[in-house]
Amino acid sequence: MVNFSNVTFGYQKDSPAVRNVSFNIGQGDFTAVVGANGSGKSTLLKLFNGLLKPSSGSVIIKDMDVSSVRTSVLAKHIGFLFQNPDRQICQNTVRDEILFGLRCIYDDEKIINSRCEAMLSEFGFNPDAQPFSLSRGERQRVALASLLAGTPEILILDEPTTGLDYKECMHIMSIVKRLNDNGTTVIMVCHDMELVLDFAKTALVIDKGELLAHSDVKKLFMNSSILNKASLLPPQITGLSFRLGGKYSDIYTVEDMAQRIRTEIKTGRE
Amino acid sequence: MITVKNLSFTYKNGNTPALSDINLEISDGDFIGIIGESGAGKSTLTYTLNGIIPHHYDGDFYGAVTVNGMDTFENKPESLALHVGSVFQDIDSRMVASVVEDEILFGLENFSVPHNEIEKRISETLEAVGIADLRRRNISSLSGGQKQKVAIAAIIALKPDILVLDEPTGELDPQSSVQIFRLLKKLNEENGMTVIIVEQKIMLLCEYAKKLIVISNGSILYNGNVREVLRNIRELEKLGVNVPRTVTLCKRLEELKACGNEICISIDEAENLVRRITNG
Repeated sequence: MVNFSNVTFGYQKDSPAVRNVSFNIGQGDFTAVVGANGSGKSTLLKLFNGLLKPSSGSVIIKDMDVSSVRTSVLAKHIGFLFQNPDRQICQNTVRDEILFGLRCIYDDEKIINSRCEAMLSEFGFNPDAQPFSLSRGERQRVALASLLAGTPEILILDEPTTGLDYKECMHIMSIVKRLNDNGTTVIMVCHDMELVLDFAKTALVIDKGELLAHSDVKKLFMNSSILNKASLLPPQITGLSFRLGGKYSDIYTVEDMAQRIRTEIKTGRE
Repeated sequence: MITVKNLSFTYKNGNTPALSDINLEISDGDFIGIIGESGAGKSTLTYTLNGIIPHHYDGDFYGAVTVNGMDTFENKPESLALHVGSVFQDIDSRMVASVVEDEILFGLENFSVPHNEIEKRISETLEAVGIADLRRRNISSLSGGQKQKVAIAAIIALKPDILVLDEPTGELDPQSSVQIFRLLKKLNEENGMTVIIVEQKIMLLCEYAKKLIVISNGSILYNGNVREVLRNIRELEKLGVNVPRTVTLCKRLEELKACGNEICISIDEAENLVRRITNG
C-alpha cells in the first residue's frame, strides 16, 4: 500500500529533515508516527501525499510514485487532516466546506451532493453553520468530514486531537477507528501515548529525521532505550508494568493491572 | 494575590454567560491547574486575570477581579502585564519577531529591562526551556512545538509574579511537556511565582499542580487540593475529564482493604502502593 525506500528530504540542502527512511505500510494498518518536536514527523507525513517530493529515494503509494504523480491525483486516494483545522477550512458554511473538497475530486454533481448530504447527516452538522463560529473540536470534525466525503483509502492525521478536550478527542478517534476497522489505512502523528496505545497497531519512531524503529506499539512501550532516545514516555499503566516487572510484565490496561494485583494479593494470603 | 468576586461575563452576541458568578482567591505561590471541557469557560477565565477581558473583548462584565490590588476593570492589560505574564493558545498570531532571540528581546526591551541584564536573561531562559540551540533560528522554520517553547521562554524571561498559561504544552512531545512542567515547578518553588495553567494533559497537570479548579458551563464545580478533587472520579469522567489511569486503578482497587482510599497520581506513587499491598 505504502512503500518508502531510502527517502531523504531537506528544506535546506545541507540539513535533511528526513534522512534515508525506508518502511512499508500494509492496507488496513493503523500506524502512529511518534518522536520529539522537530524530529521530522510532519515533514514525513507531507511526503506521503506529494505535498513534498523526496530529494532522493522513492515514495510509492498504491503503485504510484508520488514524485511523478500530481498531488491532486493522490488526493483522491489520500485524505490529509492538518493539525490546525483553520489551515484547511476555507468556506463560509459547513455545507460549502464539504462541497469544496468533493468538487476537487468528483465532476458529477449528483455524486457530489449525495456524498455531502451523507456526511452532514453522519456527523450531525448544521449545514448552514459558519465553520469559524464553531469550537476547535467542531472545526476539526468539519475538516475530517470534508476529507472523508471523498472516501480516501489512506487517512493521514497530523496530531488530530491537539487542542481538543477528552470527549472531543474520543469522538474524533472513534470515527477514525471505525474507518480503520472497515479497511481504511490510518497514519497518525500523535504526542499522546495513551491514544497511541489505545488505537494504533504499529509505530514509526522518528529521531532527528531518521527512522529509529518500526515496531508493534506494545513492544515499543516496553523498550525504554528507544523511548528515551525519541523523547517519549510510556502510557501510565505500561510504565507501571515496566517498573514492577516480573509478574506484572506486559500489562497495558487498568482492568488487567487491577486483576493481576488482586490475584497477587490472593496468592499471598494463601 | 488574585481575588475574583461574583464575576460573570457574557460575550457580545453570546446567548449565555461564558462565566457565571465566579468566586476565587489565588494566593501568592499557588500552582493551580484549570480543567474542564471545551467551551466550559477556562480560557475566558484566564482572560479576566490579565485584563484582556473586559478591555479587549466586548460583553457584559459583572463583579470584580483584582490582581496584586489592581482592579482589572480600571487597569489596562499593559499595566497588568508587569504583574501577570500570559502564554496564549494561538502562538502563531502572537509572535512579533522573525528570529527566536529577537522574540525574547522584544518583551525585555518593552519592560525596560537594563541592557546589561538582557543578554543574561535571554541565555538563561533559552537554556531553561531547552531551546538554546534555536537561538538564531528563523521562527518560521520551527515546528509547532518549538514555537510553543519560544512563546513560553519569551514570557518567562520577563519574570512576572503571576504566570497564566493556556494549554502551553498542546503541541509538545511528552518529554518536552515534562520539561516545561519541571521548569514551572522550579519557578513556583524557588522564585515564588504563582502559576495558573489551563491544560488538557491532565495526568501531567495532576503531578505538578497543587490545586485543581474544574469548570463546567462557566461555573466552578470543584476547587481544591488535587487529590481531593480527583476523588470525584465518576463526576469528572461524566464531564469528559481524562482522569489519570493510576487514579482509576486506585478506584478499581478500593474494595481491597489493604489499599484504603489512597489516590495515586503518578507512576511512582502507584508503584509504591502495589509493592506495599502485595508485599512485592
